[in-house]
Amino acid sequence: MESTSDKATYTAPTQADIDEAIKKYGRDIYNDFDLDDPAFNEKHFEIIDDLVEKCPVAHSKVGDGYYIVAQNSLVKEVGQNWRTFSAASGYMPNRPEGVPFLYPEESDPPLHTAWRQSLNPFMGPGVVNDYEDQIRADANTLIDRFIDNGKCEFVSEFAAVLPGWAFFKNVLGVPVEDLDKLVDGVEQGTFSPDLEERGAKFGFVFEYLGEYLKKRSEEPPRGDMVDMIAAGVEYEDGTMSPWEDRVSVLVDMTFGGIATTTYVMASAINWLAENPKARQLLIDDPETYVPRAIEEFARVFAPVVALGRTCTKDVEIGGRMLSEGDFILMMYAGASRDPAVVEDPKTIDISRESVLHSAFGVGIHRCIGSNLARLELRATFEEWLKRVPEWRVVEEPVYMTGQLRSIRSLNLAW
Amino acid sequence: MKAHIKLGFDGGQQGCTGHGRCVVMAGEPFEVDDNGYNLHRGGSIEVPPGLEEAARYGAKVCPERAILIEE
Repeated sequence: MESTSDKATYTAPTQADIDEAIKKYGRDIYNDFDLDDPAFNEKHFEIIDDLVEKCPVAHSKVGDGYYIVAQNSLVKEVGQNWRTFSAASGYMPNRPEGVPFLYPEESDPPLHTAWRQSLNPFMGPGVVNDYEDQIRADANTLIDRFIDNGKCEFVSEFAAVLPGWAFFKNVLGVPVEDLDKLVDGVEQGTFSPDLEERGAKFGFVFEYLGEYLKKRSEEPPRGDMVDMIAAGVEYEDGTMSPWEDRVSVLVDMTFGGIATTTYVMASAINWLAENPKARQLLIDDPETYVPRAIEEFARVFAPVVALGRTCTKDVEIGGRMLSEGDFILMMYAGASRDPAVVEDPKTIDISRESVLHSAFGVGIHRCIGSNLARLELRATFEEWLKRVPEWRVVEEPVYMTGQLRSIRSLNLAW
Repeated sequence: MKAHIKLGFDGGQQGCTGHGRCVVMAGEPFEVDDNGYNLHRGGSIEVPPGLEEAARYGAKVCPERAILIEE
């Protein structure tokens, strides 16, 4: 087969690589990868690095099967080409039947464009900066609650709460008392090992937000994103978006807004506990190092591990032929650990001057909330370090991994 | 000595998608609209003297690699 010179060529892992993987991970991760395998949670970075280095296009036999690309150039190739790699069949491999689609995440142009054009102005860098004072105040309110105890469980007492408050108070306008229910719905809807439970929790989030959207559509407008979603957008054929599409958009925004930043935040606080030099850099010169640290932490602690697309035609990727209808995962976590674009990618270094990563995705579906996420992280590092300059981790943190990676608990003391 | 440095912005399928990283990380000479899209996508600008480093930096941090430097 003729291949173009600038493209990576598929190199199959050797039998020795495969044997080693089975020994290390209990599984042939190159030919039978599984997102939900406990080894992928426990030996997360090792497995990702092995995929990046040894197998540009891996395969899974789970369910209907799927492919995974992990190198930066291949993730870009898929993410930037929605015509060949469609998002409209969803981001989940082996999608359970009946799971409603999330718009605009699980759609292509023109529907995607119609929604993104209307949503983008509510999440741009300028707009979200107006939330800064509120988010900093919220960070301090949370710290006030436990600082005198000399300890906290950082996830439930801070990292899972702050992004929720930031999103609920500034963007959504729903009562913060309902945060726990929604966080549980989003978490279990994503990670529950029981697929029926996943569906039920997912259903709860749809129901709650559907009712909220209905209520808001009957109230005087506040000029916020929820009003825009409730009013709907015009589709290319001139019709207005159906009600269920609007609920879907609100659910999508909420999933993104409360489930992801927690992991970056808590993983960073975990890492910083043992890295006093990096802490000192952040305290001494936050203007220089906090933005760099945010990019570096997003790179190494990628909460969205991998999202999928469906091939709309037979296509060659990374030297491997895929067929129309094949499902392919873009491993963002791998693209950000690719030595082709990041020097010494296994090392965490918050002083890197420029960090090229794919934590927020690439292409037209890029994360709409990235500016808000960065603001939450900046407020956290700056306010936390002012109040708690030194702390230690008193128990091994617990992680959960699938298409997303999340942290369950992080016990700190100071 | 650099006579000039020009920034090219790829406005095509693989171009700017509005991350807004260029202006946030590197400031001038980048300008984005309220949605984070580079104002000059699909086109190019001459970089004013003194801002060459910022221009190169902004190109480096673009997640889409949509900013092309021409020296």
